[in-house]
This record gives sequence, C-alpha cells and structure tokens, in this order.
Amino acid sequence: MLEPATLEERRIYYREEWDITQVPDFIIQSVENREFGFDHFGKGPNDRYKVFNTPEYLKRFLKAKTPYAAYCSVAFYEKPRKRDGWIKSELVFDVDAKDIPVRTCGCDDVCEICLGEAKEIVKGLIDTLKGDLGLKNIHLVYSGRGYHLRFLDENVMEMNSDVRSQILKYVVGADLPRDKYDDDYEIYNLEHFSIPFGYPRVFTQRVKYTIEHLTPDSKLDDVNQKLLKDVLTNRNLLERNQWGLFKTNIGPIRYKKVIKAITSLNMGLVDAKVTIDLKRILRLPSSLHSKVSMRCTEVKNIETFDPFRDAVPDFVWERKG
Amino acid sequence: MIPISFINPLSDEGKQIVIEDGGDLERIYDENTELIDTIYSIKAQEISDDSLIPKNYSDLVIKRVEWFVKRKGDPEYKHKKYAYLFNRKITKFDTIAFYILCQAIGIKFGPNSRESRAIVELQGYLTENRLEELLTSERREITQQILNNLIVQDRIRWTHLADLISSKKINMQDLVLKDGDVILDFEDFIEFFGDVIKKRQPEKMYNLFIGNRIKELIIIKMIMQKTEDYIKSVHQRANIIEPNPKLLKIADEVSEVLSKEIRHYSSFSGREAVKASPLNYDQFPPCIKKALEGIKSGGRNEVIVLFLTPFLSYSRLNPSVFRSNTTLKVSDADPDLNITRNEILPMIYESANRCNPPLFDDQPQEKININAKLGFGMHDDLSLQHEGETHWYTPMSCDKVKMNMPSLCKPDDICKRLKEINPLFYYIDQMKNKGQ
Ligand SMILES: [Zn+2]
Repeated sequence: MLEPATLEERRIYYREEWDITQVPDFIIQSVENREFGFDHFGKGPNDRYKVFNTPEYLKRFLKAKTPYAAYCSVAFYEKPRKRDGWIKSELVFDVDAKDIPVRTCGCDDVCEICLGEAKEIVKGLIDTLKGDLGLKNIHLVYSGRGYHLRFLDENVMEMNSDVRSQILKYVVGADLPRDKYDDDYEIYNLEHFSIPFGYPRVFTQRVKYTIEHLTPDSKLDDVNQKLLKDVLTNRNLLERNQWGLFKTNIGPIRYKKVIKAITSLNMGLVDAKVTIDLKRILRLPSSLHSKVSMRCTEVKNIETFDPFRDAVPDFVWERKG
Repeated sequence: MIPISFINPLSDEGKQIVIEDGGDLERIYDENTELIDTIYSIKAQEISDDSLIPKNYSDLVIKRVEWFVKRKGDPEYKHKKYAYLFNRKITKFDTIAFYILCQAIGIKFGPNSRESRAIVELQGYLTENRLEELLTSERREITQQILNNLIVQDRIRWTHLADLISSKKINMQDLVLKDGDVILDFEDFIEFFGDVIKKRQPEKMYNLFIGNRIKELIIIKMIMQKTEDYIKSVHQRANIIEPNPKLLKIADEVSEVLSKEIRHYSSFSGREAVKASPLNYDQFPPCIKKALEGIKSGGRNEVIVLFLTPFLSYSRLNPSVFRSNTTLKVSDADPDLNITRNEILPMIYESANRCNPPLFDDQPQEKININAKLGFGMHDDLSLQHEGETHWYTPMSCDKVKMNMPSLCKPDDICKRLKEINPLFYYIDQMKNKGQ
C-alpha cells in the first residue's frame, strides 16, 4: 500500500473497478458547469479546461485515458471551457495529513496516525461550521492523503475570498481573541478560556487540540525548549479544562507566548490557498490517487470510515508480496 | 423620545406617516410653508443663504442626495448647512421625501442601477450619521427598539452580513453565532448560553459581548436591505401602472446630482483626502515594487492580472474606493480612457514583460483578462461600449497577498504601522505625507 500505481494498474482500475455511478451526485448534478482537469503523466494537472456535457462523456474519457489523476473545479461556470461566467463555488477546507503543523507520528509522508489526526481536526471543523455557522449540505471526501471538506450551501457559495478567509480564520482559530471588553462603563479583562461561547470558545478548542498534540520536537515560534517542556508537563490539566491553573503554572507572560505561537500554527491546520481560491480544482471523488494507490472517496460516516479499508482499490490486494 | 421613523422610515410608523400626509404626488413641487417653518426653527441650521433651505418635497429629496455626496467627498463639507437633516423635527417630511426618492429611482432606473445603489448607500449613511448625533442613552434605546421590531420578524443569519464582513466593517469573530443565527436578543443569549456561563453573570456577559456597535451596524444593514427591497417592489409595480411624470422628473434631477458630484469629488476622499494624481513609484509599498520588477517564478498571471492591475488602476483613478460603497467605473474618473491607456496599462504591460518568461509570450490572452479586471469585458480592446460587462476589481488585501503570493509580502515599518490591511492604504498614507 501507499506505493505508486503502475500504468497497467491504472488501466485495471478505471476499466474494471471504477464506474461513473461512484462519482457523487453533488458532482454529477453539475457536471456541465464544472471545469475538469487531468494529470496524464504524473507531472501536475496540465490538461485543464476540460468540459463534459453529460456524465457519459466523463465516463468514456476516464475509461479511455485512465489518467494519473483527475480533478474537477469547485466553481460552477456558465462557460466552464473558458472558466468564464463564474456562478458560485463550493466552500472548501483541505486538511492534508502531511501538512498538519503538529503530528505525533513523525513520519515522512502520511501514515495511519497522521491520517487519524487529520480526521480529528476535520471533526472539530465540522462541529464549528455546523454548530456556529449553521452551514448545510456538507460533503466529506477522503483525498488520498487527507480530507476535503466541501460545502454546497447556497448561502455561502457566492461569497468572495475575503469572507472565505475570515470564515477560515474563525474555524481554525488563527487570530488571538481580544482579551478586553467594555460595556461603555468599564473595561473587563477576560481570557479566552473563560468565555464559553462565540469565537473565544472555538479558539480555546483549537488551542487545546494543538497543545495535546505537541511533541518534544515541535517547533513553536519564540518558545524555547524549557517552555515547551513545561507545557508538555502541565498539559494534562487541560483534560479537565483547568486552564487557569495551567496558565498559572506556566506563568502568565510565558502563557501568552505559547498561545501566540499556537495561533499562528493553527493557520496551517487547513490549506488556506484552497479555501480562498474560488477557481480551484480538487481531486475528483472516486478517481485514483496514483502516487499512493488509494481511491479518492466520499466519506459517508466519518466515525466508521477507515481509509485503509474503505479507500483501497481492489488491485492493491492483488499485488504480490 | 426619538421617532422610530427618523431612523427607520420603513417602519410601520413611517408607513403610517405616508398614508396620512404624503399621498399627493401632485404637490411635491409646491411650496410647503410647514416644512420651511420647521427648518427655520432649528437653531443649529445655517440660514444665511436662502438656497440652503428646501422649499418643497422635491428640494428636500435633492438636498438629501446632495448631502450624501458632499458628506462623503467634499473636503469643504459644512454640517451646519444640512443640520435639519439630523433634527428629529424633520421626521415627517424626511420620511415622505425618502419614499418619493425611492419611488422615483425605482420607476426610472430600477433596482440594479447605479442610482439605486447610491440611494441605498445614502440611506445607510444617513442612518449612521443620525445615530452618531444622539445621546448615548437615546442611541441605545432606539437601536434596541428598532432591532426588536426587525428581529421579531426573523433572526438574522450571519450570511446576510457577508458584505459587512468582506469590507471588514464587522469582524466575524465579534459575532456570537449559534446555528448560523447572529445572537442579538437577550432572551436568546440566555437560552443558548445561560447554562454554560458559570463564573460571571450572564447579563454582564451579554452586555460585554453583544455591544451596541454590532447592533447598530446590523440595523443599518437591514434598513439598507429593506430600502433596496422597496425600490425593487416599486420597479415591479411600475411595469403595471403608468409612471407619474413628476417622479420621473425628480429621478432625472437626482441622477444629475449624483453623477455631477461624484465626478467632481471622486478624486477626493474627505478625511483621507488624497487627490487622484499621477502614480508615484517612490510611494508604493514593498510588495508592489517587487511585483513591478516582474515575477521570475510561478504565479505570474495572478500577480499581474489580479494584484497589479487593480492596485495601479485604483491608486491612479479612485484611491478612496474603500471609503465608498458606490461602485464607480474607470470612465467616471477617466472619461476618455487616456490615463488608463497612457499611464496605467503601460506600467502593467512593462511588468508583464519583465516576468520570466514574459507573460504575454505564452499567455497573450492575459491582455484580455487585464481589460476584464478593469471592467471592460472580455475583449481585445479597451472600449467604453463594453464597460460594465465585467466589474472593476478592487485592490487585493494584505491577507490575500500573504496567502496567495507570500513571496511578495515583505512588510516594512510603514506596513506594520498601518496594520497590514491593504497595500492601497500604504500608498494613500505615503501620498498624504508627501503632500504635507
Ligand atoms: Zn504520519
């Protein structure tokens, strides 16, 4: 597993395993408005601006060309061939297991552990995107090395990149919440962890996740080895949400340093470029990720989904050795 | 007590005023002594010049528009000349003028016109300015009152505030959200969060978090939305009913005030007064200087088309773009397109040619794309007849530059002082300092 697929294996995959019915409805229903892109030689998706007027044409193309990789736009266009007449775009969050800023596995690429961590992060994002932002029509796709969280909620699909970037920062906790609040009469100092609603609550959850996944090798801006060690020693307090004690033990000034470093780290939980790019192409669900021989798969139940069981193409099981 | 319709003419109270007092369109050009007397009774009002005093509803409509354009753009703006617009005594007349204005614009120009957008913005701006002149206690009370009326009908989804978020008037992180609703109501707040707030009084937390500023921004936004809806409904009805010629006449007068004044002031911007003037390389921020050197690696298209083109065109033609919600076209500032052709495009093309490989060598279609981003559609030539087919892209924010083209962003001390919001603000700031 996780070895590249040969040309022959790609052929077997598309001709014997894959069928157009495996492409999720949310794509099939809008095939004619989307731009498709293909990578035929493993050198990046150079064959772009492809358009299929019906799912049948897409099917024939994939079965004939058996590409190294297949992609389709998050954008809907009136004229997808020219990427012209933009109508709307899915709102997307891309969590790539390899790029997560804190990983406990230390592997060079992706492995079971960091894929599991990617899944945990995705679950946190979904909670916020549903619970706070009230977004609907969500599709989760296992990309082959992480997860794509795709929203086809009409209320956000027409939003521009500026709003998308603010949504992103909100859900990953990429800004320090303010700590001073006033009611016209008096100014109050409130720490993020003492505010159990709104953005401070989201921020607290993300910081907690990141601290829980730090390792002695983690690199945090402006945080030295000694401080990192103190964080690791005291982090069990956070299991019971004893933030006040945690802060006291670390020291308030050093606590601020840690929180600041984690805030900038949080931005890396999701690939920001993907979220703000209205014309991005994403790996087509059901297509083959040839570099790792895994199937890009829509996840129906995140709790039970296991990529090493549910996203492995049949041909891999046939491989010798 | 502030009359509700002074802030929200679309309230039930406002509608009642129109039913009782404003039905007769035939009299909008007739002298109205009650109006004149009311204005003379307002002490803050300057009355030295008779032309400052509206004599009838038509005058009042025009004065509202004139106030808007001057307040936004004229460095010499004098508040005393329009003091009556901010006095509650004017409420009845102002409400009727509001309806006349919306009807005229709806009938003549429809909801998607530039005039309509300007009138919607006018109403928002007027509301904002009126609230600012109230006492803090009055201001809180009327805001809460209007908000209660508005959210009885429905809760507010944060997605309706997208443009306020996009323009950074509202920071998403300052909203208290629950299932997509913006929590503004005390009862709602307690229902959702009363249980989890342990260390402090929930009431205190409510007052700290759901401040008056957010509430005001939201009622302003909702009043603007309702104004737009009203103009739309007038427009639809106008297809069935023969339009009143007096309204058509007012619509033309309004349009004239808007275009005359906008053209006159588009090069100024009130508090941030910066004249549109020839581009000055020395005052550009580091990212723009870097982009002008040409891009040697990937991302040439984005830098030239999406980053440089909007920056250079707005810096040259409409530096105050972010102070106004009215959409200007390139030709509003450069009617014969000479500046665009002779100053702006050459600079863009030169940087494109400095790219490696030169951008137009392998991607000649990007020239069309540049025209498109200036608002001239997808065409080879820059021609007035195509203007408006696409929209004039506004300058990219620092956030976006950081995310999309991080290699360009090397903030200097000035960037930091200006909080790294938009490269355009850097340029404005530097041009202003230079001018002093
Ligand atoms: Zn791993």
